[in-house]
Amino acid sequence: MAGVLIRMKLSVIKNAMTGGRAAWMLVGAVFGLLFAAATIWLSLVDLPNQSVLGDLLAGVFGMWTLGWLIGPLWGGSAVLRADHFTLLPVPRRRLAVGLLGAAFVGITTAVTALGFLALITYGARQGLGPALLAVPVAALQLVFVVLLSRVVYALFGVVAASRAGAAITGVLFAAMLVLTQSGWMIVVAVMYSDILETGFSHTTTVTLRSIPSSWGVVAVDAAGRGDWLLAIAAPAGLAVLCLLLLLVWSVELGNPRRGRVTIRGSAGRAPAGGGLLGGPGGAIVSKELRTWWRDPLRTTTAVVPIVWALGTVLLPLTFDARLLLPWAGPALALFAITSACNLYSQDGTALWQTLTTGTQRVDVRGRQWAYLLVFTPPAVVASIAFVWWSGLTWTWPWVAAAVPALLGGGAGLIAYSSVFGMVPGPDAHKRPSNPLERADTTGQSNVLFWVGLLPPAPALALVYLGTRTDQPWLTWAGAPVSVLTGVAVAWVLGGLAIRKLSADGPDLLHTMRTGRPTVARNAVGTTVARNAGGTDVAKKGSAVEGLSWGLGSILLIPQGVIPLVFILADINVKSWFLAMYVRPLYGVPIAVVSILAGVALYGRAIMTKVDNRAKSPLHPS
Amino acid sequence: MEPSTTQYAAAKSAEVDGGRPAALRLSGLHKEFGANTAVDHVDLVVPRGSFFGLVGPNGAGKTTSLSMAVGLLRPDEGTSQVFGVDVWSDPVAAKTLMGVLPDGLSMPERLTGRELLTYLGQLRGIEAGVLAGRVQELLDVMELRSAERTLVVDYSTGMRKKIGLATALLHGPRLLVLDEPFEAVDPVSAAALKAILIGFVASGGSVVLSSHVMPLVEQLCDTVAVMAAGKVVAAGPLAEVRGDTSLEQTFVRLVGGDEHTRKGLSWLAS
Repeated sequence: MAGVLIRMKLSVIKNAMTGGRAAWMLVGAVFGLLFAAATIWLSLVDLPNQSVLGDLLAGVFGMWTLGWLIGPLWGGSAVLRADHFTLLPVPRRRLAVGLLGAAFVGITTAVTALGFLALITYGARQGLGPALLAVPVAALQLVFVVLLSRVVYALFGVVAASRAGAAITGVLFAAMLVLTQSGWMIVVAVMYSDILETGFSHTTTVTLRSIPSSWGVVAVDAAGRGDWLLAIAAPAGLAVLCLLLLLVWSVELGNPRRGRVTIRGSAGRAPAGGGLLGGPGGAIVSKELRTWWRDPLRTTTAVVPIVWALGTVLLPLTFDARLLLPWAGPALALFAITSACNLYSQDGTALWQTLTTGTQRVDVRGRQWAYLLVFTPPAVVASIAFVWWSGLTWTWPWVAAAVPALLGGGAGLIAYSSVFGMVPGPDAHKRPSNPLERADTTGQSNVLFWVGLLPPAPALALVYLGTRTDQPWLTWAGAPVSVLTGVAVAWVLGGLAIRKLSADGPDLLHTMRTGRPTVARNAVGTTVARNAGGTDVAKKGSAVEGLSWGLGSILLIPQGVIPLVFILADINVKSWFLAMYVRPLYGVPIAVVSILAGVALYGRAIMTKVDNRAKSPLHPS
Repeated sequence: MEPSTTQYAAAKSAEVDGGRPAALRLSGLHKEFGANTAVDHVDLVVPRGSFFGLVGPNGAGKTTSLSMAVGLLRPDEGTSQVFGVDVWSDPVAAKTLMGVLPDGLSMPERLTGRELLTYLGQLRGIEAGVLAGRVQELLDVMELRSAERTLVVDYSTGMRKKIGLATALLHGPRLLVLDEPFEAVDPVSAAALKAILIGFVASGGSVVLSSHVMPLVEQLCDTVAVMAAGKVVAAGPLAEVRGDTSLEQTFVRLVGGDEHTRKGLSWLAS
């Protein structure tokens, strides 16, 4: 059973190893290996207070476990899904064991196994006994994370299609964005504090070590102290947990697929035909608002920027810095642009109704209004609440000058990018339950993140001038100018989107119908075979593009801008900032070169994208 | 090519209509996807007041032709005219004349049937009082009343067809273009749909539908066209296209079914 399943999984992986996916796999593997190496390094490091090491290691193992919990939500469903095999006459426990065996085959498991070697090196520092004990315990820990990930995914699948599930997904997704972008703040905080000398508080230690992912460390420590009772009890507990998880999983496998959580509409009465929401424009706005309210994918789209913004500004509180707090509102308005940049693709081929009714203009404008109605309240509330909370009153004019232009500019940019940069994804009526399984808009989001900063620039420049020349009226002129900029950008970019949609609507519809390689293969069987050359070029291109976005972001921000700021501000934190490991004299050029390289890679990614569009046989000319 | 070709149908329709433009006229429609020619210079004339059936095997180009005919897919070459109005140069006028049911496309999925119809009616500028009555009547006829609170995304395949047909009928079009309208629709609903369509034709409307269910086309349509590999291989009044045999036999003869398909599986033969 396991043998067949493993061969099957390998074939699927091999067939899926194309273009962007392969690039992301490679990037993932490299980062995984780095993280594994860092874990082993941590287990060998000499700290002033050795007992802290166990806590730190337990914390890192906790992060590995967290990664296994979140990973499947990020990466979509498992390669081999249990429901593929429900019709096979095989007992479910045997199927569970077989699938578990197959689950161990994969880059992620290999990388994790490498990282868990840290437990053995950690044990080796305490003697031969703990080292020997650590070998089976590390293996057990690996089984635990794999099983836990499977069970949580299976259970999560039940709720994912509901709005609550979509919101949870959004929160997790945003949390991951915060950690990957701003996680270095925590490292900085730990390094700045005196935790490394004094150790964590007793409560923290006990809490941390009671989590099952830490039980390996607990066992090895106990063995080091000669407390063999605990040294055996901890792994035994882990083994029992594994058995329980396997049991839950096999029961879950046997369950017939549950009916999806259905979201109900309102009954009996027709939607209002008059008043503010009357007429064609009102029809689109209320259609859009209902979609924002009822579609789990939209729920995720709305939740991600909110949590992302809050997480980013709240994280520095871990080392008592309030500097970021006032920017919650502007951050939310900016992140919303990157999140909602593919609206037309989210509704898929439903575009045919806009085309057959010839309502392109009201459709674009309606979507812009709905976007504003969804994101303005949280952005305004967050702005007021967080500026007030931070007590940094000097930020009022800045925030007031940023938010309206960001919102208005956003309403323009999302309309523009949803039409001009549309990325086809799973069609609206075939969309699977996982709200993260959608069109990949990494490229668009990256560009929009930076372009989105432009609309508030004039207003912010006024505030800056006002502050420099000490002219309060100029400082406060920022807000009305910001409103004007926002309206203008929304109007102009929306107009361009309308023109494009009116002219090329059928082509966009065609892209959405067939733009996905899988569907194209089914629909026009021979096309793909004959176009193999062209498609290959496009795939290679998207691999390059994916790598360029990933590396470009790393070089630009954490290896470029941040160390440069640190050097110039004379903050001495090394962390993983390369430029901080040399003398400032050399550090500055390294950071600058890094920024330039990052920008160059961004440019390259954009060029590849443009190139692909021109070459792609599936893209209408 | 069969003796009864498009030219025949064209001549016939001109004669019958006394020079008035046909309900739908496709001239030289052509579409390639990469190196694959999906639709190869198709000419078709749908006479006014006809119930027109477009049949062909999977991948014959039916959906592509109909998409180009109604303005949902840009043709590489050729034109499409609805009652003499060019779909691509005067889309607004053409689109008020026809109702369209595409196959397998999404709709605004997170609306209930009533909301969907109401919004579409508002978008088409139908007056509120008229609209409410029409929506109610459509929901009744399509038997969608019991699913009042169900969102379109949760509709069954048959219900999707019915709500799609309702959106096509809402504004009172003179031509209906329906892609596989009866696929996955249960017999009871199908009977209701047929009654609607037959009534529509009887009152002077024109219907084009595509299907690969031959008995259905024979039962409903008075004019048919057979497509295979992107070309129209036969077209004309039903009686002339099928001759003395059934439409199914004519179809298999024209399209050339494979010998293997009739053999069956070796290990299942007893």
